Amino acid sequence: MKKTVDVAMPIGPVHPCWKEPVRIKCETKGEKVLGAEVEMGYMKKGIERIMQGRPWQEVMFLAERVCGICSIVHNMVFTETMEEISGIVPPERAAFLRVVANELDRMQSHLIANFSYCYTIEHETLAMYLLNERETVMDMIELLTGNRVNTAYMIPGGVRYDLREEDAETMRNNLDRLEKNLRRYTKMFDGGPLIALRSRGIGVLTKEEALEAHAVGPTGRASGIPADCRSNHPTYQKLGFEPIVRTEGDNYARIMVRFDELMQSIGLIRRALAMMPEGPVRGGGECKGGEARYSGEAPRGELTYFIRTDRYGRVEEIAIQTPSIMNIDACAHYMLTEVNSLADVTSTFISSDPCIACNER
Amino acid sequence: MVDIIYEKDLRPMKYHVLTGLRQDQAVRAIARWFNVRVQPMRKFLIERLDMSDMENMPARWEVAEAAPETDPLEAALGARRFTRNIPLFTEEEMARALEAARAAGDEGAGKTLLKEVIIG
Repeated sequence: MKKTVDVAMPIGPVHPCWKEPVRIKCETKGEKVLGAEVEMGYMKKGIERIMQGRPWQEVMFLAERVCGICSIVHNMVFTETMEEISGIVPPERAAFLRVVANELDRMQSHLIANFSYCYTIEHETLAMYLLNERETVMDMIELLTGNRVNTAYMIPGGVRYDLREEDAETMRNNLDRLEKNLRRYTKMFDGGPLIALRSRGIGVLTKEEALEAHAVGPTGRASGIPADCRSNHPTYQKLGFEPIVRTEGDNYARIMVRFDELMQSIGLIRRALAMMPEGPVRGGGECKGGEARYSGEAPRGELTYFIRTDRYGRVEEIAIQTPSIMNIDACAHYMLTEVNSLADVTSTFISSDPCIACNER
Repeated sequence: MVDIIYEKDLRPMKYHVLTGLRQDQAVRAIARWFNVRVQPMRKFLIERLDMSDMENMPARWEVAEAAPETDPLEAALGARRFTRNIPLFTEEEMARALEAARAAGDEGAGKTLLKEVIIG
């Protein structure tokens, strides 16, 4: 709804703090931001339409191309949706390896999200430290899957490659070093007075607003919503998973939830490596016709696939509800309403970890 | 004369968003609610909502479905659903609609109907 404003200030689509093109029109009165409107359409792929009518073997590769940052979880949720349709159960070792891959994906995504935030508030030192640690995680992803980004690691009925014991040992050593460094960086963020000035009490999303917009992932959990799809996942239940929740709902809380989840992911990977039994990693199975709605926890929150396949396993209909759809909406229509300074718009937007590629699909 | 580079007509792109599988289901559900045809409803949504609202419409619709309103009149008009969950109307527009509906109940058609029942 249009309001009486002094200036309608457009930010983007090209902006040094944006990783992807998006345009935010802020309605301002003096320095105060009254509201914001989001304009997209600079990178619409139409990937759901491209997927329609194709066999699942092709759609599997397209699914992980929805997003470059969280490609592994798109691969995982698509695979698990196909397994749900077809009644395929992966071997236990493969299920644990999926958790390892998914948590590594979450770690690199959270690290790049927090890097972006620190970069946006001009704390470049911490930003570069975090980006450097991300490289270690990317190396571990390469060690496990053979690739850095589009890995196609998971397939219905298991995973493609097993993890050798010497590689698991390398991973444990890397995790030890990462944990030590991340504790230091978390303390730097938590105790930084200038960081607090730009983060505490800025871009507040209340619990009611988060529920209204269906905010998910760290954005929702930083506003006191204890929702995490990992709580319902059988392998995560074996690992004793508990979601991390904060109640402040501001930029600081969203970044701290991600820092805490990084530590949690390290713990989950360690436990998965310890509990992983010997055995096959590919159980086989045939993808059948049917329909399913399945959600998995992506780094940014609940990722849902709606798939209908015919009896040959061809995808007849597909819809992908990515977490950024909900989080960008929550950010634009609640966090950016009544913001005291236009300077806080970019940092607030980045704190919700927006992914435009996911949003536009 | 200098043109604004990024100021574009967003209607075709908004239409693409609205005709996505899940968005289309939500639009049809809203059109059924108001008993209007789908195409005028799309036009109205394109005018009133931004692209982010449109992308998130199915999730917001599900949230509204999961938490029904308690007041029967507000539930019938979708007072919260169409101002907070899917911001189609302003609070003022909805307040006017509620006032008109209440007046119809107190003074108008509703009371006349009850009076007929009493008189027989």
